[in-house]
Amino acid sequence: MSGTKRGSKNLLEDVIKAGLCTGCGACVTGCPYIVVREGRIVVLDRCTLEEGDCYRHCPRTRTDMNVVSGKVFGVPFSSAETGHALTIAMARSTDHLISKKAQDGGTVTTLLAFALDARMIEAVVCTKMDESKAPHGFVAHSRDELLQCAGSSYEAGFALEAFRKLPAGSADRVAAVGVGCQIEALAKMKAEAPVNGGNPDNIQLTVGLFCGWSLRSGYFRPILQGMGDPARIVKFDIPHSPHTSFDVYAEEGKSSVSLDEIRSAINPACQYCWDMTAEFSDISVGSAGSRFPGWNTIIVRTERGAELLARARDAGLIEIQELPEWRLAQLKTAALNRKRTAFKRLAEKSGDSQDLLYIFGLSEGFADSLLAG
Amino acid sequence: MASIAIDNPGSVVLLMGNEAIARGALEAGIGVAAAYPGSPTSEILPTLAGAAGERDIHVEWSANEKVATEVAAAASLAGIRSLAVMKQNGLNIAADFIVNLNMTGSGTGGMVIFVADDPGGMTSSNEQDSRAVAKWIDNPLLEAQDAQEAKDMLKWAYELSEAVMLPVFLRGVTRLCYTRGNVVLGELPVKNKKKAYFPDIWDMYNPTKSRFTAGPSAVAHRNLHEKLEKARAVFEESPFNRYSGPENPELLIIASGVCTSYSAEALEVLNIRKRVGLLKLGTVWPLPEKLVAKWLTAARKVLFVEETDPFVERSVMEFAASRLPEMDNPVFYGKRSGHLASYNEQSTDLVIAAVAEILGLPQQIRDPDYQRDAAEAMNLVPNRPINMCAGCPHRATFWAIKNAIALDGRNGFVCGDIGCYSMSFAAPGFYQSRTMQAMGSGAGVANGFGNLQQFGFAQPVLAVSGDSTFYHAVLPALVSGVYNKANFTLLILDNSATAMTGFQPHPGTGLLATGETAPVVNMEALCRSVGAEVSICDPFALGEATGTILEMMKQESGPRVIIMRHMCQLLKAKRKIPDKYHAWVDQEKCLGDSCGCDRLCTRIFGCPGLMWDSAAKKAVIDEAICVGCGLCADICPAGAIKKEEVN
Repeated sequence: MSGTKRGSKNLLEDVIKAGLCTGCGACVTGCPYIVVREGRIVVLDRCTLEEGDCYRHCPRTRTDMNVVSGKVFGVPFSSAETGHALTIAMARSTDHLISKKAQDGGTVTTLLAFALDARMIEAVVCTKMDESKAPHGFVAHSRDELLQCAGSSYEAGFALEAFRKLPAGSADRVAAVGVGCQIEALAKMKAEAPVNGGNPDNIQLTVGLFCGWSLRSGYFRPILQGMGDPARIVKFDIPHSPHTSFDVYAEEGKSSVSLDEIRSAINPACQYCWDMTAEFSDISVGSAGSRFPGWNTIIVRTERGAELLARARDAGLIEIQELPEWRLAQLKTAALNRKRTAFKRLAEKSGDSQDLLYIFGLSEGFADSLLAG
Repeated sequence: MASIAIDNPGSVVLLMGNEAIARGALEAGIGVAAAYPGSPTSEILPTLAGAAGERDIHVEWSANEKVATEVAAAASLAGIRSLAVMKQNGLNIAADFIVNLNMTGSGTGGMVIFVADDPGGMTSSNEQDSRAVAKWIDNPLLEAQDAQEAKDMLKWAYELSEAVMLPVFLRGVTRLCYTRGNVVLGELPVKNKKKAYFPDIWDMYNPTKSRFTAGPSAVAHRNLHEKLEKARAVFEESPFNRYSGPENPELLIIASGVCTSYSAEALEVLNIRKRVGLLKLGTVWPLPEKLVAKWLTAARKVLFVEETDPFVERSVMEFAASRLPEMDNPVFYGKRSGHLASYNEQSTDLVIAAVAEILGLPQQIRDPDYQRDAAEAMNLVPNRPINMCAGCPHRATFWAIKNAIALDGRNGFVCGDIGCYSMSFAAPGFYQSRTMQAMGSGAGVANGFGNLQQFGFAQPVLAVSGDSTFYHAVLPALVSGVYNKANFTLLILDNSATAMTGFQPHPGTGLLATGETAPVVNMEALCRSVGAEVSICDPFALGEATGTILEMMKQESGPRVIIMRHMCQLLKAKRKIPDKYHAWVDQEKCLGDSCGCDRLCTRIFGCPGLMWDSAAKKAVIDEAICVGCGLCADICPAGAIKKEEVN
């Protein structure tokens, strides 16, 4: 997986300066020199080590999809549009307190609150917004704390840095919530354990979030400032239909800006992302679309994910329904288009259709077929 | 009883050059001494201060050397003998005062300015030969060879100063100031009973009777030159110029100051005292031309040995040229010929090499066994870079600065200044200071950077200053910055001392040179009153310090000030303020040189109390060096460095 030795200096050149950094926070986890400041990675000083976890675990350095898939699923990398999956369905919470705070169906909060209550895990690494609605990595230990994290932030939150908040040498079992790049980083961490960090086997469960792109704080904050006091905001949303506005729900009501204006704040690194549905998770969750308000689409990928879902359903905490065929088709098309776009952009950036910069281990012809389409 | 004031003429004591100068001033009956600390001269004033009460003299640390020189001049004008002391850089800033004083002359009380250069720049930001200053501004100049001579020259210098009504320069170098030698004490005069009175007051019946009506500056300049000619005549007969050697030497060495000693030793080692003569010049400017002429005629070869510029060399060559074509000149060797360098110190070895070259002698200075042993011994000595002391608050301040600049992300930088924190241009201060010139130049240069916005300049600018430096030279820069709305942040590193030069008090410490209490010139009140916003932080509260710097860096107009206040660790030790913590490394937790640390504490943070245990490949604290400040425990990424309060 690692090939030649590469360390933090290479990370700076190959990823950050190359414009590939998605703001996942994996490099920050174990390193005293790499920190997050106002939505940017800052390298405080020089590390002289030839190779390090920062480079190894970054989702935008060399990733062998087959090796990662083998580690996470025990099978080669799936060519399915939405990745390796056991079931795809719709789900929502039955807990009204959760539904009120949730972005869509409240499935993520419900499943993880259940996992904590049932002592399946001791902590959840997730994302919490502060007073100004800026996202930060957070470690939740209770249902109440999880509830504080419900609801989507569209800014890159570097959530994986929260792993650093776990006590060193802790044996606590942990779940993690993240978007595709973060789940990919966690998978790389399982494939190559951190030199000095926590034991990746402690990560019992990963919940992936569907993601289109994230926003850079430096560009998003000024737009947000123009929309009133961020402390009064309760929710952000991009309604699927008509898919042209970015909505901000505050205590006094809803306001919108055009999606075009928000696009100017999108992190350019996101154009190189292939992973709409967080394909290396135990279970991925997204919005079911504007035809099904208050529902999630869920993709169950592992036995662990399936077991948790079943237990939560049996406890009456989760409602599960079949996902209509047309909706599934829409999802698959979107996911495939995403891969195609990403591969095209990567090939453009590298100048070579065989060079997808960080993506390796794809089956013969897989990338070519997408690039040709 | 201060030892320097022992009243036992004829007794022999071991004195440092600086102490001998202080003694010489007492024997000369000075009434006033003023200085600003500057290596290598810093001991002179405190030595005098120790005897101030007993000898009934006024001894003060002035805010800077210009003020110190002005203070000494006032005493001279009021008929009291005075001494001003400074290092080479201090002379640079006093020069504007002296050139003006020279227009009308010093007073009936003699005035001597002792200035010490630092060849090799061991304790200086630059290397300069200040003798040229005396020539440039037209003052008589003496140069002392050793402690005894420095003491003897002082008394003589006061007589000369009173004869020509000009300040007289006495020049030394680091080796003079710090070398100890036997000194025969002279008599101490009756304690200063002279009444100070400034006689040049306005006389309404004789209004033009004034120092200032000698005429325009050109006329004053002419008068100044005439005074110098008087001094030259005195120099021709001075006991401080001595020749030793054969009547017609094959080679004549003309040396001054400590170089005289190197030259004498060189001739001893080569065993050629019967062939080579040594003309020691103690009165260096104006050149005693008749004396020099005699020896130019007697010798066919002349070697000049001096530090650092070819000052005497050029003066003599200039004079020699004037003798052409009637007299012919010897061949001149020295810096122009490349036999000696015009930078760095001289030494006995260098003089031996030069003389051997000129006379065609074999050059082996030491026996081969010694040479081999010496080369091997060098391998035993590890390379030790400069560093700040364990517990130094500057380490904390620059750690906060380094992180703040990185977090800010706009390519900010620090304009450095003079003091222990000057080391911040290198590893001890994490290479953060990016410019470094004179006292006060940090804020001065920051002023300039802070007004380049119209040229697209967008980098945050920081300046640093010590507490003593602040009173010395930074204040005018801060005033100028407020007035011109310059955009920068000034960090005053207040460790309650003029630490670099030996913990001398300053206007902010509440103590005088004599140890008496003094009014405190309140730093923060002063900054606020000139219109700068002021924050005060303890640099050891790293989070708050970093946050304050970040906040201040974001502002966009006018200078703002952060006072980083924490006592110098050595001052704490002197005052027996106990250690706060016991700190140690839990090697189980230490990540050492592996991923997640890469030796952050020993490789970057660099406190000398932290060591790398290369057997265990872990950090370890050296309890003999650690002072228990606890800062390392705050920066350890693995939480492996522990600290517990001790009571």
